[in-house]
Amino acid sequence: MKEQGLRTFKAGIHPPYLKELASGKAIKEAPVPEEVPILLQQHVGAPNEPLVGVGDHINLGQKIGSSEAFVSAPVHSSVAGVVKGIQEATNATGQKVKAVVVTPDSNQPQFSGVSRDIEALNAQDIVSIAKDAGLVGMGGAAFPTHVKLSPPKDKPIDIVIINACECEPFLTCDHRLLLERPEAIIAGLKLFMRAVGAEKGVIGIEANKLDALDGLRKAIGGSADIEIEVLEVKYPEGAEKQLIFAVTGRKVPLGKLPSEAGCLVQNVGTSIAMYEAAAFGKPLYERVITLSGPGIKETANLKVKIGTRISALIEACGGLTEDASKVIMGGPMTGWAQAELSVPVIKGTSGIVVLTESFVDVRDEHACVKCGKCVEVCPMSLMPNYIVTATQKGEWDKAEMWGALDCFECGCCSYTCPAYIPHVSYVRKAKAEIGAAKKAVKK
Amino acid sequence: MNRELLVGVSPHLHEKDQNIERAMRDVLIALCPAAVVAIVVFGMNAFYIMAVSMIVAVLSEFVVRKIFRRKTSVNDLSALVTGLLFAFLLPPTTPLWVVAIGAFIAVGIAKELFGGLGKNVFNPALFARVALMISPLSMYVSKFVKPFYWRHTGFFSNVITSIDESVAGRIVYKGITGNVYMNAVTSATPLSLMKSGRMLVDTVTGPTPVGATWLTSGGRPSLWSMFLGCKAGSIGEISILALLVGAAYLLYRRTIDWRIPAGILGSFLIVMLIAWNNPVYELLGGGLVLGAFYMATDWVTSPSSKSGRWIYAIGIGIAIALFRLLSPWPEGTAIVILHFNVIALLIDRYIAAPKFGALKKRWINKLPVSP
Repeated sequence: MKEQGLRTFKAGIHPPYLKELASGKAIKEAPVPEEVPILLQQHVGAPNEPLVGVGDHINLGQKIGSSEAFVSAPVHSSVAGVVKGIQEATNATGQKVKAVVVTPDSNQPQFSGVSRDIEALNAQDIVSIAKDAGLVGMGGAAFPTHVKLSPPKDKPIDIVIINACECEPFLTCDHRLLLERPEAIIAGLKLFMRAVGAEKGVIGIEANKLDALDGLRKAIGGSADIEIEVLEVKYPEGAEKQLIFAVTGRKVPLGKLPSEAGCLVQNVGTSIAMYEAAAFGKPLYERVITLSGPGIKETANLKVKIGTRISALIEACGGLTEDASKVIMGGPMTGWAQAELSVPVIKGTSGIVVLTESFVDVRDEHACVKCGKCVEVCPMSLMPNYIVTATQKGEWDKAEMWGALDCFECGCCSYTCPAYIPHVSYVRKAKAEIGAAKKAVKK
Repeated sequence: MNRELLVGVSPHLHEKDQNIERAMRDVLIALCPAAVVAIVVFGMNAFYIMAVSMIVAVLSEFVVRKIFRRKTSVNDLSALVTGLLFAFLLPPTTPLWVVAIGAFIAVGIAKELFGGLGKNVFNPALFARVALMISPLSMYVSKFVKPFYWRHTGFFSNVITSIDESVAGRIVYKGITGNVYMNAVTSATPLSLMKSGRMLVDTVTGPTPVGATWLTSGGRPSLWSMFLGCKAGSIGEISILALLVGAAYLLYRRTIDWRIPAGILGSFLIVMLIAWNNPVYELLGGGLVLGAFYMATDWVTSPSSKSGRWIYAIGIGIAIALFRLLSPWPEGTAIVILHFNVIALLIDRYIAAPKFGALKKRWINKLPVSP
């Protein structure tokens, strides 16, 4: 399984990837749904306020929500239609957020934007285009792109890394984009490089997507400042800090952002969205997601309008199998299991993975047996077992000492835990408690 | 699409075949070669000891958990492992009722009274062994016999129920088939021979061979007998070969961390080489190999970080060597590992590798300063 000699990070795991279920399926357009709830908060940061009222007719790509806050990203309509209501809806993580519910017109127009010469854009233009188009990280974290493109002045960025690892099992949407749209990815990368003044661009790709290399090389052409770095297939190779280390050997200091290490990491999908926003003025209102897993009748990579309910997508794939037992929004390592299938797709949704009973290995949590396997696999070199025991005892200072705040919840620890401890849920609790305690002290 | 869907926190995948039962099953499999050698060398009595120990261990767990109203955990096989490991630590002459008491101490007290698997501070098997050693029952767990002694007593009919030392100059083992006079077959372990030999060298003029017919090399078992298991000792510790075969399996399955046996045996050997105290003989003698691969590697009672494990292992190796060299006792593996079970807690509290991206590369854990 391990490819010798490829660059990687320390620790991590080798889960079954099962990419072959969907990697051969070319990207298809998903049908336009009958009702589109578009969440007003799809990103990390301040929520948007609606710009439209009930009964308004809105156009495809029209801005329907925005915020004054810097760390925020506006939301655009993915369809032309009439606003049916502005109401609360549940997002994939179970939170209630405001949503603009649109009833699409029966005839959907093609997107008609501007045609811009992207070569003429300067750094400032690119950042404002990214903000205006509502770009966020499409790998899952959904951090507003224009914020990433505006690093502190004293932290110059010299390397932009395109995250083409797609290290989550089952997911293949980035793989398909690498195969089908390499020119757009490279064009997006060049825009990112210009926006932050980086000298070098690197595409960090896992060795299970070698079939994409030819197209990428062709798209790179004579650009000497762009390289491809083939990385070991290992989870979580695509985690920001781990990817930066694998590609550059630099370590992002604990609790700091990648700009501290002179790096900017952008996902494949975000890169294409950047290119489309710059070249055609197209806001981020649709994205490619993977529908895969043993519990779905047909796997697919679909171009989906933001706001499509996952039930509609599953139906488009022939529905669930008899033994389907868990529907996950995102990848199976970090995604959220859904009880209701009415949840809409948002900008950060990379896939819908349906697992069957035989895949879902549910057991009661046993007391920690201190085997140390979680310590061995932790890519942040934390002690997950002791974060758990400290959290169980309510010893928040110890939970912090063991690294609760430095955990990015990749789930390697729980994956390999013989005692079936849900470390991630303890870590979230510890983070909330430590955060609350720190706030209380500040006041 | 109305159906019950499972929810639950990520990750939604779990490593295949990675659970407590699998690890325990691995240990049971790994102990099999040594168990077979025990029966061949010490007769069916070794089998009875192992069987009683395992049965009582499982029953104790079942009953004690019922009393504490804890969920039955017999399925995790850990009681069987503790039972077998405890049996391995006993001399082949241990009366079965003493075995039963020990197995209860191991599982009922050292494990369940501390809160069950995972919460125990001490390795249950070692705890019970040392508890018997310092109890009034110690005489029952300190009589060793020659290998293949069953040629004198019968392979099957040597179940020992008690030991009587009241007859002058004789040790009488009372078996269910009648009294067995075992003077002819009682033997010191190789390490105690070494110990007494060395003490005689110190006090009398020259080495005094401690003679017995089965000893082959200068009054002691040859290195080959030591390695293959033809020597006096606890039933599970004698065959280094059998223990290494099982250990190789555990290392291959990644059930135990190689760092612990490597650290123990390496540091032990270095101290013995410096002291020039017949290092190879010391390495093959006593419970060192059993302890290094099967006792000190116990998940629950060893540190959980790599760096911590090195410190723990090297500490154990040096301590066992010093114990054997400097104390009046021939062997100290059990006592030393038990002490390091407690030290392991401290190691885990204070030693941790620097976190990925830590600005200050500290190997010592400090509590965060409250703001």
